[in-house]
Amino acid sequence: MLKKGSAKKVTIYVNEDTQHHLSALYQDILAFLLHKGVSGATVTRALAGFGAHQVIHTPNIEALSEHLPLRLEFIESAEKVEELLPTLYDMVTDGLIEVQDTTIVKVATREKQQAEPKHPHERKAGKAKLMRIFTGEADRWNDEPLYEAIVKRLRMMDIAGATVYRGILGYGAKGHTHKQNLLHTKRDLPVMISVVDSEEKLSQAAEAIEGMMQDGLIAFSDVDIVRLVHANPLKDAENAKLPAR
Amino acid sequence: MPNYQRGKLLRLHFTERDQYRNKPLYEAIVEKCQELKIAGATVFRGLEGFGGTAEIHRSHMLAHDLPIIVQIIDSDENIGRLLPTVEEMMDRGLIATSDVEMRRIQKSS
Repeated sequence: MLKKGSAKKVTIYVNEDTQHHLSALYQDILAFLLHKGVSGATVTRALAGFGAHQVIHTPNIEALSEHLPLRLEFIESAEKVEELLPTLYDMVTDGLIEVQDTTIVKVATREKQQAEPKHPHERKAGKAKLMRIFTGEADRWNDEPLYEAIVKRLRMMDIAGATVYRGILGYGAKGHTHKQNLLHTKRDLPVMISVVDSEEKLSQAAEAIEGMMQDGLIAFSDVDIVRLVHANPLKDAENAKLPAR
Repeated sequence: MPNYQRGKLLRLHFTERDQYRNKPLYEAIVEKCQELKIAGATVFRGLEGFGGTAEIHRSHMLAHDLPIIVQIIDSDENIGRLLPTVEEMMDRGLIATSDVEMRRIQKSS
C-alpha cells in the first residue's frame, strides 16, 4: 500500500515486439513488478513515436506498425525503486528507463483495508490546539464558498475534523454588520469554522488558509483532547462486536 | 505560532429571550461592541441547551427561547474595557474568557 508523500515514478519505454527470453519484454517486466509486490503498473500503447533507431513507428503504414512504442509506468517508494532498478536495467536491452520524483496526493482503494494497528485519524488524549476561523458566508474562493473550500482543504491535509457554524449576527474585518435581511435575498451571515488537531498540523493548515482568505480572523487556543476516534465505516460492523474500550 | 498575537476570547452565554431595553440582548451587545470599537463580534444560535435555571431551551411553535452564544476576540485591554459594560447589561447567563493566539487577515481587495 502506497503512502501519501514523496515517491518515485518510473517510466520505461520499449517496443511492443521487443523480446526477452521468448516472450514480450513488457509482459516480462509486468510479471516481474507483480512478483515484487509493486502496488500498480500500467502499460499504454502509443499512437506513434520514434526512438534511438530514428524510425517513426506509426500504425498508418503496415510495415512500420510492428514496432509501436509502449510506455510502462509505475509509482513506488524510493527504497522500492532502488531495489527494482538493477533488475530492470538488466532486462531492458532496447529502450529507455526514466525515474522522476513525484508526490502522492491520494491513495484510495475500494477494497477493505488491511487491519492496521492504528487508524491514522486516531489521536490519543492530550494537549492539542483549537483553531477558530472567522469569515463571512458570502466570501468566495475560486467560485465556491470559502468555508467549503477551507473544509475541503483541511480534509486533504488529513486534519482530524472541522465544523462550520453559521452565526445569526455579527461584524468584524469588513466593517459591516452581517445580518439576515427580511427577504432572505442576500445571505452574508458570519461563519466560524472550528478545527481541533495538533499544533504542528494546524500551523500548516493555518498557512494554507491564510492564503485563501481575503479578510477575517484566525485564533488559536489550547485544548485537551479527551478522546477522538475517527469511525471507519468499513470497520463499524467489527467495532460494534468489540467491547467498548 | 509565528505572526500570532496574544489576545482574549470572550464568550457570553444566555438565551434568545433575554432583553435589554426592549431589544434582544445579543443585538444590544453587538451594538455596544461597535460603539466601543471592539474589533468584531459574532452571535451564534444553539439548537438546544440548558443552563443556570435548569430549564431546557428549545424552539417552540411560537416562542423562541434558544441558547445564544456571543463570541468576541480582541486584545486583552479591549476585552477588559468591554467586560464591565457587558456584565452590567446581562441579568443572567454566563461569561467565560480564554487565552488565544490570533491573527487578523486583511488583504486589500
